[in-house]
Amino acid sequence: MGPLAVNEFITENTNLFLAFVIGIGFGFVLEQSGFSSSRKLAGVFYGYDTVVLKVFFTGAITAMLGLLFFSLFGWVDLSLVYINPTYLTSAILGGVVMGAGFIMGGYCPGTSFCGASIGKIDAWIFIVGLFIGVGLFGGGYPIWEKLYWAKDLGDPKVSESLGISDGVFALILILVALGMFWVAEWAEKKFPQKEY
Amino acid sequence: MQPRIILAAFIIPLGLIIAAVPQNTTKPYKLTANELLAEASSRTQYIAPEEVADMIIKKDPVLQLIDVRSKDEFEKYHLEGAINIPMNDLLSEDNSEILDQDVKMNVIYSNSTVTANEAWMIARQLGYKNNFVLEGGLNYWFDAIMNPQKPGSTSSDEEFAKYDFRKAASVALGGGNIEAIPNNESAPSAILKPIIKSPKKKKAAGGC
Repeated sequence: MGPLAVNEFITENTNLFLAFVIGIGFGFVLEQSGFSSSRKLAGVFYGYDTVVLKVFFTGAITAMLGLLFFSLFGWVDLSLVYINPTYLTSAILGGVVMGAGFIMGGYCPGTSFCGASIGKIDAWIFIVGLFIGVGLFGGGYPIWEKLYWAKDLGDPKVSESLGISDGVFALILILVALGMFWVAEWAEKKFPQKEY
Repeated sequence: MQPRIILAAFIIPLGLIIAAVPQNTTKPYKLTANELLAEASSRTQYIAPEEVADMIIKKDPVLQLIDVRSKDEFEKYHLEGAINIPMNDLLSEDNSEILDQDVKMNVIYSNSTVTANEAWMIARQLGYKNNFVLEGGLNYWFDAIMNPQKPGSTSSDEEFAKYDFRKAASVALGGGNIEAIPNNESAPSAILKPIIKSPKKKKAAGGC
């Protein structure tokens, strides 16, 4: 509820409460879509089930188109939208660690809580591992503090670094995503899930 | 029909539209009168002369001084490295690039704070950030930095520390109060205590 909280239309506590409600809704939708199954999530990496890839990419494209059209209509000032700053080293290292954990555990942090809430034991174990990781990172922070903040690129946009407009980049991304969906569905046929 | 084809039939045209239309570069962001009043009365636009002096001496590349007085006044005296933007030229095309900053920190000054505040308000109303007003203007700058008065012997340590800083800054910036400086070898900038800014808080990143 960014703009409402920043402009003090709602208090910090209301903001947290709304986050709580939205979080429950998000979890519910994740569970209903089958994202609480580690097999479904790990399926992306083995090619037999690419729903996760398609859902998240469709979500990203929808949000992207929504923001660009809202900006076009003058409803949203894109220069005020917060962009997470890019720290290249930690983004790459974090991506590798997260990806490895994703393949091994079959969950990402959000879906693990989703799975845990419906009583999946593997999700519980995943969460234990998650907290061990949090503890290691927090406890050893002085060791990797420099690495963590290294290669600060600010908040660059791909469209800016390529020198094209946001709209053209959006179109390219849509075409790439649709191509990827097609490859993903081909992979689902090529690598069907093994029955155990 | 396959869902993928339905999806493609829906989003490809949208993508084509968004790629074809020019980007919306207008800035709908404007402060309401109430918001501007609240911001002006919170006095957060002011920056203390000590801090500016510190940045000038350290040649902080972030600092950009903007003199909104007339060209004549600017030529007679201006702060080191200042850019002259007389009030009447404030809204010209070239100057909007200077005022609309996200890298540098603009410190606007005039003789007092009246004209500088006017410039700040206009910039703020245009949605520009990173504009500040030199507290007290040039008049106070001369009193505080260029010609600091020694505090009374009963003053607090803080007052004396402030005085020492101002005295050192005065010498570094070529002020008049030379005899007040002890005649030793240490460079005046060594007396200056750097103003340590606390690092900006980083927002927590989200995941899936």
